[in-house]
Amino acid sequence: MPDSIEIEIGHQSADVVSLPAEATSPPVEIASPPAEVASPPAEVASPKPRRAARAKRVAEPTPESVPAPKPRARKPHTDAHTEDADVQVTPPHVDTFAEDVDVRIAGTGVPKLTPAAAYWDVHPSDSLHEVELEVRNNTSQQPSQATVMGHVAAGLIDLIGENMRRMTEEQVEKARELLRGTDLNDYLEPGFWRGIGMVLQYQVQEQVDFIKRRLRGEYEVDPYGMDIEMIEVVRPFLAFMYRTWWRVESHGLEHVPAEGRALLVSNHSGVLPWDGAMITTAVSADHPVRPDRIVRSLHLHWFSTLPFVAPALAATGQVPGLPENAVRLLENDELVCVFPEGLKGVGKLYKDRYKLARFGRGGFVQAALRARAPIVPVAVVGAEEIYPMFYNAESFAKLLGFPYFPLTPFFPWLGLLGTIPLPTRWSITFCPPISTEEYGPRAADDPLTVLALAERVRDTIQETIDLRLAERTSLF
Amino acid sequence: MSTVLINGIGSAIGAQVARQISTHDEVTVLGIARCEPPAPVGRAEWLVAHLNGVQLTELLQAEHVDTLIHLDFAGADAPVEGHEVAVQQNVIGTMEILGACAAAGVSHVVVRSHIGIYGANPKNPTILNESRPVARSGLSGLLRDLAEVEHFLAEFALKHPELSVAILRFAPIVGGWSPLIEYFAQPSPRIIMGFDPSMQVLHIDDAVDAIVRAALSPCAGAFNFAADDAVCISQAIRLSGQQPTSTFESMIGLSASVGDRTKLRPWPFDISFLRHSCVVDTRRAKDVLGWSPVHRAVDSIRTARQNGRASDDPAVSEAAMRAFLSRKG
Repeated sequence: MPDSIEIEIGHQSADVVSLPAEATSPPVEIASPPAEVASPPAEVASPKPRRAARAKRVAEPTPESVPAPKPRARKPHTDAHTEDADVQVTPPHVDTFAEDVDVRIAGTGVPKLTPAAAYWDVHPSDSLHEVELEVRNNTSQQPSQATVMGHVAAGLIDLIGENMRRMTEEQVEKARELLRGTDLNDYLEPGFWRGIGMVLQYQVQEQVDFIKRRLRGEYEVDPYGMDIEMIEVVRPFLAFMYRTWWRVESHGLEHVPAEGRALLVSNHSGVLPWDGAMITTAVSADHPVRPDRIVRSLHLHWFSTLPFVAPALAATGQVPGLPENAVRLLENDELVCVFPEGLKGVGKLYKDRYKLARFGRGGFVQAALRARAPIVPVAVVGAEEIYPMFYNAESFAKLLGFPYFPLTPFFPWLGLLGTIPLPTRWSITFCPPISTEEYGPRAADDPLTVLALAERVRDTIQETIDLRLAERTSLF
Repeated sequence: MSTVLINGIGSAIGAQVARQISTHDEVTVLGIARCEPPAPVGRAEWLVAHLNGVQLTELLQAEHVDTLIHLDFAGADAPVEGHEVAVQQNVIGTMEILGACAAAGVSHVVVRSHIGIYGANPKNPTILNESRPVARSGLSGLLRDLAEVEHFLAEFALKHPELSVAILRFAPIVGGWSPLIEYFAQPSPRIIMGFDPSMQVLHIDDAVDAIVRAALSPCAGAFNFAADDAVCISQAIRLSGQQPTSTFESMIGLSASVGDRTKLRPWPFDISFLRHSCVVDTRRAKDVLGWSPVHRAVDSIRTARQNGRASDDPAVSEAAMRAFLSRKG
């Protein structure tokens, strides 16, 4: 058993997963140990008997078997005398949870430990995610019955973290209050389960309140019908499609402005407009500066005549694709996404994949010129294979009043199952923006300028698609 | 010194407009009503009458009226009595009034209208401004009458440049009796399955403010008026204290006509408004008239639940009494 570190903060004691002397690779967030760590009086104490005993009982982890767990103080600083808390550190590497957090947020090396905020960082769900990983890590070293418990514990922490993303500052504070004094890594302790139980109960309560509030009509929509709360509800599902199903790789997100208007112009494909949803998710999941930016996709106005589809599209912030809507949204400094291929794009046959269809009549360029918004060409690769449509049953489509009726190897033969998209691997590339500033106010009404710009955007997208296709090694 | 005549002072909104304009000392306020005004009308002098064009011309000339506010539309402030009567009053009545104004040398006419005249159409931009043409089809009842009136007014204004005609297109007005709230507050109001368009409403106080501003400033053309926030129809129903029932389109009219008429209320607009949104841009009213809505749609609907009737809640009654006493004092 290598030496354990024990950290005493105020009256509470926290024990840290035993840190083998060899496992000293510092976590990536920390370039150098913060200066503050050295200043409080540090002393090394002997491991707590109970903890030591348990560690022996459970695992006897050898230095090799422990994959560099991050040692952390896991107790909140609840007391005023945090300052003179005894922080015990083992050289050569020092890493307490709070410092880790502070360095990660501030990045300036001025970690300030306010007693209340020391436990979790700006977004507690992120630190909970770390805790979850750590618990999972540790669990894999444990014998079987503890493993099950550890997995359950990790799952619960994950669930809480996920829920917390949707909570308000107040609710997070409440959960934080409930978890105070609970050692989140120590799932063999009754205190852990009590704390987790209280938070779960609180979160269920909040969800019930959420539904009740919805039933009373107490929420807000914008004039287009966008409902932020509904976006939050579908976000985990879209994130799953983004990360796990299609394993989307996004490039060039820095070309999407963090502030102000921009018109994203993308190729369109895939029978159902999943590509729009994934562009939205790419910005909300991976944008370096403003992950909360909502992309307003313009959809074919025909979709607003479809029951269930229309309100769902509206609630998630999508807007009927009419020129007036595009200009108005851009003038409100929104991020607007258009698919100039329109129907010709979504209804593309498999054999025509990645051949851009005609870009309409350049209406999107007119909108950008009117609103003086930069155009960001976007190339989506992978979406064109999700529903390999080999035939468009046009006469049947006409009968149903649909713009197209796809026949794929799975649809309509497998019914609803046939609407599950193939899990191809995607990449989304945001190209450098094309400025429209230099064009005068009359340019929008000059067909030559408009068509030339449209062609330029189309070429950029086609080139980028070809590039990504050449890089691609496998469809899946 | 100017003289304003309010046609339709007998409605709640007309009475409020009269009271508001009365606070401007330099303005003389007159009113024509179909019934006695339900609320105090300030300094306004009014008569209960149903004047034809010739009689109205005589009145306008005798009183040197320079501004006429036309609010008197059947079905807007009270349940409509019959289709033919309504068309007679709304369309023919407005034509007569405009003719009388031109003949009597009135310089400014303010006519109320409704944002529903744009129609609910998936091909309309989601947010409509005043340049959107009035729908030529797909409307019925009051909205059809108003659309017809608007077509007439547009033509009339072209032919009579000496007369400035302001058209105020209001979102459904709440506060006081409103057919919309009546529909929302009935037991399980019906909406079309799979559709939940957004809509706007306008609090009656904001509508009154709009009319007063339009009457006292030399403006012309159409203006949209609505609260700054929009609500989904299902949300509006929930705010009215009910839960919506999704049903097939054909059932909506049917259940109101064969069901229990004492409880079930008909949807006051065309069915298409339950399917597609009709939301307007109020920028022009804000820029030109300096108008700005005070009430949010969410709050207006929530407080309009009672639809003009007294509430059972003692706290609400208490507040109403305090407001009354402070107004008196």
